[in-house]
Parts: sequence; structure tokens; C-alpha cells
Amino acid sequence: MSSILTPFASIGAKGWVVLSIFIFIFSCKKDPAIEDTGNDVITLQIPKGFPYPVIPSDNQPTQNRIDLGKKIFFDPILSRDSTISCGSCHHTDKKFTDGLQFSIGIDGNQTTRNAMSILNTAYQPYIFWDGGVPNLEQQVLAPIENPLEMDFDINQVVARLNNHPEYPKLFQKAYNQPPSVYTLSRAIACYERTLFTGKSRYDDYLYDNNTLALNASEINGMNIFFGENGECFHCHNEYNFTDYSFKNNGLYLFYADSGRARITTLQSDVGKFKVPSLRNIELTAPYMHDGSLATLEDVIEHYNSGGQPHPNKSGLIQPLNLTPQEKQDLVNFLKTLTDKNF
Amino acid sequence: MKKNKLILMAAVALLTTATIFTGCKKDDDDTPAPTPNTEQKLSFHLHTMVGSNAASYGVQYQDASGRKFDIADLRYYISNIVLIKNDGSELALSGKVLLVNPATQEYELGEVPVGSYKGFKFLLGLDSATNHSDPTTYAASNPLSIQSPSIHWSWNSGYIFMKIEGQVDTTLAANGPLDLQYFYHVGLDNLKRTIDFSTSAFTVVSGSDYEIGLEFDLLQALNNVDMRTENETHSFNNLPLATKIADNWQDSFELE
Repeated sequence: MSSILTPFASIGAKGWVVLSIFIFIFSCKKDPAIEDTGNDVITLQIPKGFPYPVIPSDNQPTQNRIDLGKKIFFDPILSRDSTISCGSCHHTDKKFTDGLQFSIGIDGNQTTRNAMSILNTAYQPYIFWDGGVPNLEQQVLAPIENPLEMDFDINQVVARLNNHPEYPKLFQKAYNQPPSVYTLSRAIACYERTLFTGKSRYDDYLYDNNTLALNASEINGMNIFFGENGECFHCHNEYNFTDYSFKNNGLYLFYADSGRARITTLQSDVGKFKVPSLRNIELTAPYMHDGSLATLEDVIEHYNSGGQPHPNKSGLIQPLNLTPQEKQDLVNFLKTLTDKNF
Repeated sequence: MKKNKLILMAAVALLTTATIFTGCKKDDDDTPAPTPNTEQKLSFHLHTMVGSNAASYGVQYQDASGRKFDIADLRYYISNIVLIKNDGSELALSGKVLLVNPATQEYELGEVPVGSYKGFKFLLGLDSATNHSDPTTYAASNPLSIQSPSIHWSWNSGYIFMKIEGQVDTTLAANGPLDLQYFYHVGLDNLKRTIDFSTSAFTVVSGSDYEIGLEFDLLQALNNVDMRTENETHSFNNLPLATKIADNWQDSFELE
């Protein structure tokens, strides 16, 4: 010990002050060689053929924000008894769904709707099957407060984060503010906006002009999908295979879940749900708002039948009279929408 | 020596700063006698009642039919407060939002010009823009920030205009214990109501802050609501019941 201290022993009190000031000044200076880029606004890596998403000006992506949001997304600190995180129902190995008909929340509670994938969620003009929430930032509140999901009070979540050994520093770094309802909602949304999917065999075929990416059956399925004999493309269109409209697809004559009408209270919205993206659909079973259809074959069978005669049913849902081979081709095409990378 | 020089510099700096600050101050000697205040503070003095009793959480009350109930939560939003001047023009107290609860009687509305007013009116609930604003953007001190317990719908972004919760005796003879949790969550754009006191004249005089005394009666808000059978609404799932309560709001208020 003494040998380590010896070189400094002769400095004396005055010397220490000067040295401290010296160190203080220099530690504030940035070293250009190891400059911290954590707060630089990042350009998100967008799949080929996709537009750049609209991002709120107060929540532009930086690495610090994305890292923070990701950490919270997978942290059960958000739930009352610290057992449920966002990742509990949005698994990375199931394209951010959970494979269940209804997700399981706190205390083993079964929720009332099938968990949607949150990939490409940066493009969603409103959130949830019924579109009840206008953006990702405000969406953060819903699962935390839902008694079947996390069953917690957002202000208590914020108090927990402020008492955490790491989070206050991470929030300060990312948003220059302590954990708050505002920064919490922004951090999670910031991470979610980085989750893109768009590198499937279909994309190879379409954007990379790789005509060998799809086989004959898949191409035939694609033609049915985008043609008037399948009619699928009317709602499942563009790069994310959805027009985000609310449609009653004739699943039931009587709906246990009123869907969009829960938000608007309009009779004409009963049984309408947001058209989901079909990307990675092979890996996101079961299907529909209530997960009532187990396989893609079941889904094709439903649409082929023309569905139930509900008064709000979309006029596009009519019997299709597809042959068994055509149905198989359609299923084969849908399986080409699986992202190989993510 | 160096130390002395530093002290001197600091003194000069301080003196300069002091001069600047003093320079900004008004010289009292030169101003004429104080003019009368042109504005005074206006407040609502608001009592939350259950019939003739003051409302309080956990206390047992009886509804109009004699049925027992208590209150665990009773809060509501008042916004878009407008004063009507004598010439008929309106003075909007823009941006003022109150979250009323039974324990609080004083609600400051801000400074208003002295003078005579024909009356006032306000919204019970929120205008559409405020109703659908992002609650995460408000400072914790703002009544529009997320409250604990929440008075905002996170699954259908918008505020609950009036939240009434508690327990009620649902026995047919109304002679049993409080056996059911009731809740009335009244919101949605269509359920905001203008509470009109446009002919309730008042005068704000210089030198004296003014309080408008008001009473809100929960029994009036639940007029014609059978708490035995009509005991829950999230608005969207039981719109007729929510509408019935909203339509009672005007008659629930009276001047104190």
C-alpha cells in the first residue's frame, strides 16, 4: 500500500487541489477516439420495399433509448407481483406472439384476446384488435393496468423504477430525465419501433427478382391471394399485408367480443376487428382475434366457406369455391411470408 | 496574494449582480398610490353531498329508495369553464381542468377581471381534444396526468369523466349487508354535459377574492338509477345507464 501512495505523498494538500481540478476538467472532455454515440439519433434498418415509419419527434430512436426499452420490455418489474413482462406474451422465438389461444397474465388469468405479433408495429396507425389506443406510447399503459395482464398502477411502476439500482441511471442517460410515466412509455415504444420483419422468400421473389424463390404451388397460391378468386389482397395488402381497416369477417353470427364496437359503441362496428398482418403467419398460430382457428388450413376453410351471415360482415367475404389444390397452394403461399432472419 | 485577488474579483462580481437585480426592481418612491386591483382570484367552493349529508369515503348512505350503499371512489372532471359577462360576451378560463373529489372543497380557477357577471357555465367531462390527449405527457401535478387509482381508460384512450364506485346492498327487501361492488364509469365524448348557470349573476369586486359556492349531490346524479339492478357501466358496455347518469348531471348541481 505505502509503495503505491509514495509517489503522491510529496504532493501535499495544495497539490491535491490542483490535481483534482485538473482531473475534473479533463474527465469532462470527450475523447474523440471513444466518443459515446448512445444518444445519437439512429436511422432504423428498414426491410427492402418498406417505407420509413413515422416516428414522434419527442421519441426519436437512439441506442440508449432502444437498449433501455428492450431491458424494460423483458423485465417483469412492470407487473404487480413482478411475474409478467411484455415478453411473457410476445416471445422472440414465436415472432413476438405466444402460441396460445388466449395469453396468460398475472395469477394465471386468461386474457380475452389472442396476442398479436408486434413486429412491424411501427406502422400501426392504432393499437390493439379494436384500435382503441392511438399510438405505441399510450399502449404501454394498457397491459400494465389490465387486471388480467399485469394488474398494476403505472405510478407504482414508476416508483419501483426510481428505487431500482440501475434504471434511474439508464433513464437519465437515454432521456435526460428520471423514470416517469412519460419516459417509461417512450422507452418501451422506442424499442418496439425497431422490430421489423420483411425478409421472407416472398420478399426475395418480389424485391430481389429471385424468380426461383417460390415454387409453382406457391406462385399459384400467390395468384389466388392477389386475384379475384381469393380476394385476400383487398384487406391484406402492401408491404405489411394489411390495410389496418376494421372488418367483420363472418367468424360468428353472435360475437362474445364486440370488437371495434367496444370503442365506438356503434352497432355497425360489432364483430369488427383490425385486419392483422400476415407476415410470419406460419409461426403465429392460432388465428383470429380469439385464437379460435388452430391452423392455416382452418383459416382458408373459413374464408372458402364465406363465413356466417352477420349483418356487419364485409361484402368481400363470400364463398370462394376453391379446389383442394388451390387451398393447399394458398397455404403454401402464406408460408412463404416467414422471415428467415428474425 | 492570489487569494486576496480572488476575493476581490468575487466581490466585484457579486456587487455587479446585485446592481443588476436592484435595477430590475421598481422604485417604490416614484410610483403613485396603488391603483385598485383589476383582477381578483376566483374559486369554486364545491361541496360533494349525498342528499343532505357531506359525501365521504367508507360512510354508509341510503339512496332515494332507502337502499344502503357506500362510496369508495367519487371523482369527476370539470373543464371549459366560461364566465358570461354583463354584455353577453364570454370569458373562457382556457386550459383550466378540475378533478373534483369529496375531500376537497376549494378549486382555484385563476385571476379574473373585477366586474359583474351574468353567470357561468362549465363542462362536466372534457372536450374531445383534451379527452384524447396523451395522459403520459402531463406533469404529475396536472389533474390530467395518470391518477392513482386511474381515472383514464388505457384500453380506449380517453378519460373517465365521472367515476363512482363502492358497495351496495342488493337484497330485494333492501335490508341486507353491502354485498356487491358497483361501479359507474361515465366517459366517452358523447357523454360530456354542459352545466349551465348562465343566469346565476355574481360580482367580483376589487380587493376581495371571490368564491362561487356550489353543491354536487350524488343522489341526484343517480336519480332513477336502481342500484340493485343497475350497478355497473363502463359506458361502452352499458351506454343507456351511463347516459342516464350523464343526463342527471345538470340537476345534480346547485348554487350553495
